[in-house]
Amino acid sequence: MSVAGQASVTEGALLLIVAIGGERVVLHAAEVRSVVTIEALVPVPCAPAHVAGLTALRSRVLTAIDCRRALDLADRVVPPAETGTPAVVVEHEGHGYALVVDAVEDVVHAMSAPLPVGVPLQPGWQRVSPGMVETAQGPLLLVETTALIAGPATSRAAA
Amino acid sequence: MDDLLAEFVAESREMLEALGGEIVAWEADPSDRARLDSIFRFVHTVKGNCGFFDFPRLQALSHAAEDALADVRANRRGADAALVDAVLAIVDRISDMIDAIDRGEDIPEGGDGALIAALQPDGDAGEALAALPVAQGERPVRAARAQRSVRLPVELLDRVMSGVSDMVLARNDLARRLREHPVAASIDGPFDRLTAIIADVRDAMTRTRMQRIDHVFAALPRLVRDLSAELGKQVMVDVDGGEVELDREMIEMIRDPLTHIIRNAIDHGIEAPAARRAAGKREIGLLTVSARQSGNRILIDVADDGAGIDGARLVEKAIAGGLLDAAAAARMTDRERCALIFAPGLSTAEAVTAISGRGVGMDVVRANIERVGGGIEVDSTPGHGARVTLRVPLTLTIIPALTVAVGAQQFAIPRSSIEEIVHAADDAVEIVRLGGAMLATVRERRLPCLPLAQVLGLASAVADAAHTLIVLRLAGGERFVLAVERLLDHEELVVRPVAPAVMATGLYAGTTLTDDGRPILLLEVAGLAAAGGLALEPQDRRAPARPAAEEPAGPPVVLFIGLDGRRRAMRMAIVERIEEADPAAIEVGPDRDRIVVDGRIVPLAGGGGAVSFEAPLQLFRLSDGQAEIAYVFRKVIDIRALAGEVVAAALPGEIEGITLIDGEPAEVVDPHWLFARHAAPPIPAERPACRLPAADTWMQNFLRPLIESAGWRVLDEHDPHRADVEIAAQGAGLSPVGAGRVIRLRAAPEEAPESEGSVYRYDRAGLLAALGAGRRA
Repeated sequence: MSVAGQASVTEGALLLIVAIGGERVVLHAAEVRSVVTIEALVPVPCAPAHVAGLTALRSRVLTAIDCRRALDLADRVVPPAETGTPAVVVEHEGHGYALVVDAVEDVVHAMSAPLPVGVPLQPGWQRVSPGMVETAQGPLLLVETTALIAGPATSRAAA
Repeated sequence: MDDLLAEFVAESREMLEALGGEIVAWEADPSDRARLDSIFRFVHTVKGNCGFFDFPRLQALSHAAEDALADVRANRRGADAALVDAVLAIVDRISDMIDAIDRGEDIPEGGDGALIAALQPDGDAGEALAALPVAQGERPVRAARAQRSVRLPVELLDRVMSGVSDMVLARNDLARRLREHPVAASIDGPFDRLTAIIADVRDAMTRTRMQRIDHVFAALPRLVRDLSAELGKQVMVDVDGGEVELDREMIEMIRDPLTHIIRNAIDHGIEAPAARRAAGKREIGLLTVSARQSGNRILIDVADDGAGIDGARLVEKAIAGGLLDAAAAARMTDRERCALIFAPGLSTAEAVTAISGRGVGMDVVRANIERVGGGIEVDSTPGHGARVTLRVPLTLTIIPALTVAVGAQQFAIPRSSIEEIVHAADDAVEIVRLGGAMLATVRERRLPCLPLAQVLGLASAVADAAHTLIVLRLAGGERFVLAVERLLDHEELVVRPVAPAVMATGLYAGTTLTDDGRPILLLEVAGLAAAGGLALEPQDRRAPARPAAEEPAGPPVVLFIGLDGRRRAMRMAIVERIEEADPAAIEVGPDRDRIVVDGRIVPLAGGGGAVSFEAPLQLFRLSDGQAEIAYVFRKVIDIRALAGEVVAAALPGEIEGITLIDGEPAEVVDPHWLFARHAAPPIPAERPACRLPAADTWMQNFLRPLIESAGWRVLDEHDPHRADVEIAAQGAGLSPVGAGRVIRLRAAPEEAPESEGSVYRYDRAGLLAALGAGRRA
């Protein structure tokens, strides 16, 4: 599922630990441009559900992706962040995206390449994850940002 | 690849690109020294540059071409068609090699020897060239490059551009804070200066993105030449408006569609020479490509004088292909029938040719043009040709827009789609609700009305009557009304593309940032209409056909701009062809001008007494069946019908009268007068001589030009040759040499004639009659 131009995660790669839907997962740090706090979101009427809206980062317009909705986890109750919404900025096919997550926690080194988990994941996670990665903080699910941007199949069909 | 090599490739391509038109012009007229020189310079430069690198084949080719051209320059040999073909083949090969070098590939093998041999004066170019594996058809279109410029990576420009945008936002933010927290007045001056500087920089940055459309147009003569040669047709291309500027990205976006339209015009539009002859047309087809700016849009016209679009055949095909039912087809206007060429999967070509049968149809062309916010229209007169008009925005990035609000949210609407803005409470406006749908009557026009909040699924607490109504016009001419809660502002917006997921809604064309840095969505007008479920019909399906769409009634005329800048019309029937004219070929004579065309001297009209001519000049080659004259003018506007009344001119002359074409006056050129005046009878072996006193300044200054223009030689009183006529003032002495006939001039009309044959000196007709009598004597 990885996109040409994006290096796949290998041992020693830097990973960013974020929380989505109450679950701690890792993103490949090489794909992450920056971590920001979103203060205002402009909704996009009629857009797929996982598109949370637009936000501006300096003079750049970013499309905000609601990661929980992208994983069909919207019903999970997560306490709202205290100041603004943390988001991870990535770039895909020339467009900037802000992936809205519950929290951004830490950076760790990968201690393995992605490994199969061995048991079936929930469908949402299954779609966005190539497997788990061993880290100093235990095994964590690796999530592909491109899969988050693409959103669930239902909202793609709706689009 | 090292920088030197990149520089070499770029420079060579730049020259090749500039050379495109020159080569065709040289082919048309191999004796043209200026073109020869520029081609010579090109091969010379390539040869020189090869010295730095190890490209022996490139060097051998350019060297051989240089040698052959040097011989021509030194008049050691003539430039014949064979040589032109051979040189062109070498230029093409050089171009291919440079492409290969750029890609870092090996240069394709073989054929160089034959190319070089074809250059020899006794070499059989045709045979040598025929033996070559010629790369037919599509050459890879190369990216345009700035003409005289520093090369910059595009990303760098974009970064600067976005930096400038950031700067504007920062300034706006600062301005707002200054308003909120008033500070010392001494801040105002510097702040205003900063504002002005930022505006300047932004303006300049915007312009760095602009390029002349010439970058696309320069390649057209060559494209047309190659295509018409391939298809066995004769096509003359007239390119106009190359100085129009538009956004660099937009230029790239129109390159392929334009190429495709031209291919289509030559392949399907312009007929083979025999068919043209049979249809009573000139064998050479005329393709006109022109660009002009109209507001914030660029209009690019591609017109041909070919067979036009066969609407009936398109309908037949569409019905056969299941795209259309017969009942709907019967209701269609001619214009709509023509527009079927944009329907996917429809081609009228009987045989799929290498040129247009590439699986890319006009539907793709239209989709590509619409994607960049443009539109495409086609107009056709069966038997007389077709015209495709592209309308594209000046730039992809900055568009004038109207910002509106629904609830707390703002949206922008491109101003180009807005026809009118009215308030729902206005007396001239009426809104009715029918079964939940809204209809607005604006100035007696009943239009479907969509509340923006409803289309976007947003809540709206504003009553119908409190809405502002925006009358929008789609590219096809359909109109509908969009009801919004509030109007905010007119702004020039820097528009960015939106993410695919947002684009997929079909409702938005892009995003932009307000002054305070909030994103706004730019609405896509056609998408709104579709989302609102409007089945919009083109206006002219219901309205009676507009007069403009009627068949032209009168004889066709070429509308053109004369050297004096006036709009004129020349009857098509007498125009043999239209071509570019070289100012150097014009010889300004005392009585009449002449021009050298195709190695012959032809009388030249249209000069209007000018003593020097500057490019660009165009030339009508006119013929009455026997005599030929040339008529020089600035440029062709269009071909139109002479439908209206021609109001006769007060005096007989070049202009027969004035008529209205497209609502504007145009002078109609009188062909009879032109030929009477300019199609000179063969100059007599010996012109009659007229003796004028050399000391009489009036006669020398006023009379002499008249007599000379009537075809007389002028002698003075000491010339020993016999004069047919001698002219002298009344009472003045005569020359001792003698003359066949004496004309006495009276200084005033009422002065008593001293003798028979005396004429008042300003009686032009009398003078000419007396001269004529003298010639016969």
